[in-house]
Order: sequence, then structure tokens, then C-alpha cells
Amino acid sequence: MEYGNATARYFEALERAGELPNGLPGLVSGEAEDRTLHVWVRFQLQLQGGVIRLARFQVFGCPHAVAAASRVAEWLEGRSESDARALDARAVCSELEVPVEKLGKLLRIEDAVAACWRHLATGNDKGR
Amino acid sequence: MSNQEIYLDYAATSPVDPAVAAAMLDCLQHEFGNASSQHAAGKRARQRVEGARAAVAARVGAAPERLLFTSGATEANNLALQGVLRRQRKPRPHLVTSRIEHKSVLDTARALETEGVEVTYVDAEADGSIDPRRVAAAVRADTALVSIMHVNNETGVIQDVSAIGALCRERGVPFHVDAAQSVGKLPLELASAPIDLCSLTAHKICGPKGVGALYIAPHVVLAAQLHGGEQERGLRAGTLATHQIVGMGKAYELADPLLEAPRLAALRDRLWQELGAIPGVRQNGAPARRAAHVLNVSFPGVDGESLRFALRSVAVSAGSACAADSPEASHVLTGMGLSDTLAGSSLRFSVGRFTTEAEVVRAAATVVGAVSRLRSVAKSAPAWCSGSGF
Repeated sequence: MEYGNATARYFEALERAGELPNGLPGLVSGEAEDRTLHVWVRFQLQLQGGVIRLARFQVFGCPHAVAAASRVAEWLEGRSESDARALDARAVCSELEVPVEKLGKLLRIEDAVAACWRHLATGNDKGR
Repeated sequence: MSNQEIYLDYAATSPVDPAVAAAMLDCLQHEFGNASSQHAAGKRARQRVEGARAAVAARVGAAPERLLFTSGATEANNLALQGVLRRQRKPRPHLVTSRIEHKSVLDTARALETEGVEVTYVDAEADGSIDPRRVAAAVRADTALVSIMHVNNETGVIQDVSAIGALCRERGVPFHVDAAQSVGKLPLELASAPIDLCSLTAHKICGPKGVGALYIAPHVVLAAQLHGGEQERGLRAGTLATHQIVGMGKAYELADPLLEAPRLAALRDRLWQELGAIPGVRQNGAPARRAAHVLNVSFPGVDGESLRFALRSVAVSAGSACAADSPEASHVLTGMGLSDTLAGSSLRFSVGRFTTEAEVVRAAATVVGAVSRLRSVAKSAPAWCSGSGF
């Protein structure tokens, strides 16, 4: 498997990996997984005044999945909720030169972020 | 290879020993003759070929005339299986092999199935061994061949080929052994072993790629698979690759298991001493019956592809290099009962002649760091990511 430079860079840059402290105001979280594709993703976002102040991720998956989660967390921080809802995993795939057969894995990242919005709407922190 | 890269993939292939390269270069520069030609240049080339054949034969305890040169162990495996099965006059001859053989045996067996051959694939035990009793139970009156590898290429587990060979002799069934991983690690005495066909290669023991051999016991008759000349007793047509064969001869001359195996085992054990400290790791394959050079380790909670990517400075394999392009989990590890996820979280480390203890320690530190980092990124991951519950 070949990996592009952007994938390598975001795979190494994991400063947004991890968890936000429980009880943080405005905290929402969401998860998604696909066992057949061997990928699990969790996002935690801190929203204040309609803006994502902090984004953290956890991921189990291939280098493209790790890099994409890292890139998405970077992209989310500082973005307004309405902008963030327009997240497009395909654009991330294109930026990271992810092979088309891995798109299914990366769509789970989009699903995990979408689950954060469901958490915001419903208060269900499983966000699934 | 960069100076920073640590090569721990000798089970895939090995660097050519300088003495081997020198012998090959000398041959390329001075002996260009065709070993089948009757003139002086041809006779000199023939002498080189026969000298190499004698060196290979000496290493594996066989008479030189029982060895036939091939392009490698894959061709030798193909010739052994197809050569025996295609000579059968029965309408549906039977082949016994195991689920954890190298792809060159499994794919050949599958190809033979399309020609009407019936194949029984014997299951492996959880420790990676093949129980001879399972083989005995699989052998039938119409069994034409049993094929079991000597040392598994992914786990290093040594199969009990003496016991399997003995039961094959009792039943009058020819026994083929793929010994690609065992030369230079274990002593071989083919002439006195209950083995009828044995595949060998050069590149796993610091010889060149593209050359191997098939040992054929005197009573075994094969159907040729390559036609177009009388080379190698008419069983393998084509001009002999003199320099390759000379390289193989030199590699076999150098590959003394009594000298090399203890050092390799010490390096492998040193590696495990370091890696074994990682919580939750497990070795795959019975440690007590493993060849000196291979260590297969599962790292639960870590995606194997990500781990390999994180280890770009350490050359290791997820399994067989011959299956490295496949996204599927190792058939050997899943055949031993590991889940797809756990098999995918496994790496094969293999040491060799030029591996140093410093390299092993440095590689282990890199692995420890990468596993820790990847686990921390998936700290809350569900149980299936650790290979359980799925």
C-alpha cells in the first residue's frame, strides 16, 4: 500500500488525538464503526457560542483512517457549527490521496462527526 | 536500503552474502558457456553447475544427482505437486496438504482441483503445528501425494516431517516437503529421511533470488512441467542459469545451521525479551518447536497496517511476503484460530546472518513506541479492536 505525504504528515501529527475532560461545558461526542472494514472512530467536540473550540479524536484503523481523523479534527477546530456540518469525507480523501477502495472506512469519520450533531440534538452521548 | 532502516524480514528474503556475490560475479565474468554445450566453455560451465549441485546436496544430505535446479521454491513446489498428480491414471487422484502451507502449494493445489484432483486440507493446531494424526486420518487408498512444509514461513513452527513421512511410507504415499525456510536453520538429511520430494531455495539464506532446487528420491517419477530441452534429466527444460546456480551452491556451502542457528535464536529471544514487555502481546506458534529465525507477535488493540506504517524504519512483514498485496488476514494465523482482527494486528520478525543485537534492541524500542502511540489513539476502542468478541 502506498501512502501520500499528506497521509504521512497527519498520521504523525496526532496532537488532537485523545479525550476531552468529562464535564467540559458544551461537550458532545459521537462514534461510528464498521467491523468488517476494521475501523472505529470517536470524536469529541467542545462547542461554545456555535463555534467548535476544541476537537479530539480516537481511531482504530489503517493509516489513512488515522490521518483522516487527524485532518478532520484540525479542520473542525475554530469552525462554526453550520460550517462543520458540511464536512465532506470525500474531500478529505482527495486531499490525503486515499485510494477509492478505502472510502468506506473514511465515511465512518463523517458518521462519527454526524453522531456528535445527534448528541447535540438529543443529549444521547452515545451519539450513534 | 537506507542506513537508518533495520532489516528484520529474512524470512521474506535476505541480502546476498559478499562471498556469494563474488562467486557469481566470477562466473558471470569468466564462464559464460552453456552448461549443455559439448565444447570447452560448455564443459567449464557444467563443472561449475555440478560443483554447486554437490554443495547443495552436501548441505541437505542428498546425493547430487537427486537434485534438479529450478527458478526457486515456488517452481519446485509446482513441479512436485503437478509432477506427481498429473502422472496419475486415476480419474480423481487425492492430495493431502494443510491449510497453513505457503501460497505456492495452496494455489497449486487449488489449480489441480480444477483439473479433477481431490484435495484434503488438514487443519493446524492452535500452536501452529500439524498433528501427524490428522494427516494419517486424511490419507486414503487413492492418495497420490502428501505435501507439508518443514518450517512455517509465518510462524517458524517446525512440523514433525519425520512422523508424517513415516506414516506416508507405511501407506506407500509419496511425501513432499517445502523446506524453503529450514535450510541453514535446521540440519537436513534427505537421503535417510522419509521424504520423497523436497523444495529448496537460495534467497532465504543469503543466496540469489531466482534459483532453487527440487530433491527427488530415486523411486519418484514426475511429469515434466516445462518442455523444450533435455536439461535436468528432461524434467526442467531451459538453459541452466550458471551464475545463479553457482550462487546457490556458495550460499548452501556457507549456511551451516550448527554455526548460525544458535546466534539467530539468541537474537530472536532478545527481541521477544523486549517486545514481551508490551502489555497484552502474544507470540504466535509454539515457542518450543520453532526455527531460530522467526518471531510472530500479535499486538492486540493496534491495527496492523498502521503499525507497519509507523514502523517504516523497520522492515518487517504482516505475514508471508508472497501474500503481502492481499488485504486479507494471514491464512496461517486465522488457520491457527486467531480472529481476523488479531491476525491483522500481527507482525512477523525474522533475523538473519547480518542482523546485530543493537539492531534488534533499536527495532524493539521503535515497536514499543509505535504500539504505545497507536494504542493511546484508540484508548476507548471497543473489545473487537483487540481481536476479541469478533
